[in-house]
Amino acid sequence: MNFHRLLALGLAFPLSVAFAAGKHVHGEGRLDAVIDKETITLNLELPLDAAVGFERPPRNDKEKAALAATDKTLKEAAALFVPTPAARCTVQSVQAQVPFTGGDDKHGEHGHEGETHHADIEASYVFRCAEPAALKGIETALFKHFKRLYRLETQRSGPSGQGAQRLTPKVPVLTW
Amino acid sequence: MKAVLLIALKSAWARRLTLGITLAAIALASALLLAVERVRADARQGFAQSVSGVDLVVGARGGGVQLMLYAVFHAGSASHNMRYDSYRALAAHPAVAWAVPLSLGDSHRGFPVLGTTAAYFEHFRYGDRRALVFAAGRPFAGTVEGVFEAVIGSQVAAALGYRIGDRITLSHGMEELGPEHADKPFAIVGILAPTGTPVDRTVHVSLEAITAIHLDWAGGAPLPGLAIPAEQVRKFDLQPQEITALLIGLKRRTDVFRLQRHINGWREEPLTAVLPGVALDELWQAVATVERTLFAISAAVVAVGLAGLVATLLAGLDQRRRELAILRALGAGPGAIFLMLAAEGLLVTTLGTLLGCALLAAGLAALAPLAQTQFGIPLAWRMFSANEIALLLSIIATGLAASLLPGWRAWRMSLADGLIPRN
Repeated sequence: MNFHRLLALGLAFPLSVAFAAGKHVHGEGRLDAVIDKETITLNLELPLDAAVGFERPPRNDKEKAALAATDKTLKEAAALFVPTPAARCTVQSVQAQVPFTGGDDKHGEHGHEGETHHADIEASYVFRCAEPAALKGIETALFKHFKRLYRLETQRSGPSGQGAQRLTPKVPVLTW
Repeated sequence: MKAVLLIALKSAWARRLTLGITLAAIALASALLLAVERVRADARQGFAQSVSGVDLVVGARGGGVQLMLYAVFHAGSASHNMRYDSYRALAAHPAVAWAVPLSLGDSHRGFPVLGTTAAYFEHFRYGDRRALVFAAGRPFAGTVEGVFEAVIGSQVAAALGYRIGDRITLSHGMEELGPEHADKPFAIVGILAPTGTPVDRTVHVSLEAITAIHLDWAGGAPLPGLAIPAEQVRKFDLQPQEITALLIGLKRRTDVFRLQRHINGWREEPLTAVLPGVALDELWQAVATVERTLFAISAAVVAVGLAGLVATLLAGLDQRRRELAILRALGAGPGAIFLMLAAEGLLVTTLGTLLGCALLAAGLAALAPLAQTQFGIPLAWRMFSANEIALLLSIIATGLAASLLPGWRAWRMSLADGLIPRN
């Protein structure tokens, strides 16, 4: 039962606390994906820094424009996430909350006490697929839009089980 | 050509000692390479098979991999327990279809003891969503009367020769020589069919039983002067205060991340919820470097073995000048000589890898029980996978390519070379 050696190998590496709540690492986003029958649900969390380079209220028009552009990018779900074309998936709903934009200011600070120095973008997407059996993966264009995003830690739960995958600009496709 | 190969074979037999040693080196090297690949693949397969249908594993705040290893594989240890109240609250959560509490920490003759509820036998799934099956007997009752009942896994039964009705005592902690709960023996009421997962190595009792055997204990040892006899424990409230971990199945898969966030932000106590499949992938991501290193080292060992083969063949050329010259004089062309040398290399490599396969089989047979009990890796003999066959073929191909060099040397040697007597 002492698995100690394998265990030691596993735990000696920096990992695994990655999904604790409230983690905020610049350059690193999180994506949770659930594939349930014909529905794909994606939850995205990005440090605001990865999108616009700052995490505070905008100080000038340029920064305001950057936030607005981010908001627009995030709402274009069909361009941002591309499930296997053969599965014929269409966007059902999009919700994106970019801090310091419009009426969503309260979300920007994220409500965590003592965490006012960080701000996260939160977005969720629902796709519905006509041919769920053909669904093999989802490609994301996030890295093309957000150059300061270096990796996306994904968790996945679907018909073929659960899994974790790290997406990077070189490997922008979630597969299962 | 047939004659050439026959001569090559006989010539090789004449030098069987040196070639035999080279062959042994190649056999060992290829067995090592195959073993690394086999253990890697089987460990992944075995781990992935061990849990299915569990949406979330919940435990005290900590690393997800550690939690998953402890809750599912009973390996390592938990940093903290979680409250029984949290289990009750989560079990009642509208998104939760079922929740199975786990309490670990005791053992029986080196096998882990798992305190749980009868729901475990109903909801636990392994492999391709297969349910647990009783080879004999029934689940423990989980009632006050049936508190000292145990269900054992197939390996526990086989290793210790237990049958239904046998009585066993549990030890405190994971050490085989830990203090015994000798005053409170358990009756075996069920034996599970083999699953190839850690379930086979586990002794299952009810949560209440775990509380009962620790009633007169404090701080990891029996309280001096206080011994509550087994008949008396039923008068106590046996509802546990704490459990080690919790397995959760959801009504709808869609809720998994919402519930995970909910649990990770649990107000009453710090908890961690992890998707077991995600934690496994994280573990593999972490050990991938080690795996690649081991693979590179064993590939290098194969290269060393093949280099030894080339060296042996090249060194042999000098001693065989006369032999080769006579063959040439008798009418063998340079092509035939080349063929002889290449065939010899191919023969040694092929025999070496075949012997390596035999070594692997023998090694697996010898080490499988250890790998299973110590590391939870099921290493059964099975046919070679596509990966392994590719490895075998690449060893042979490399061996053939390497023996082209001595072949070329022999081909270049002039007819006169071995016939002119040297001083």
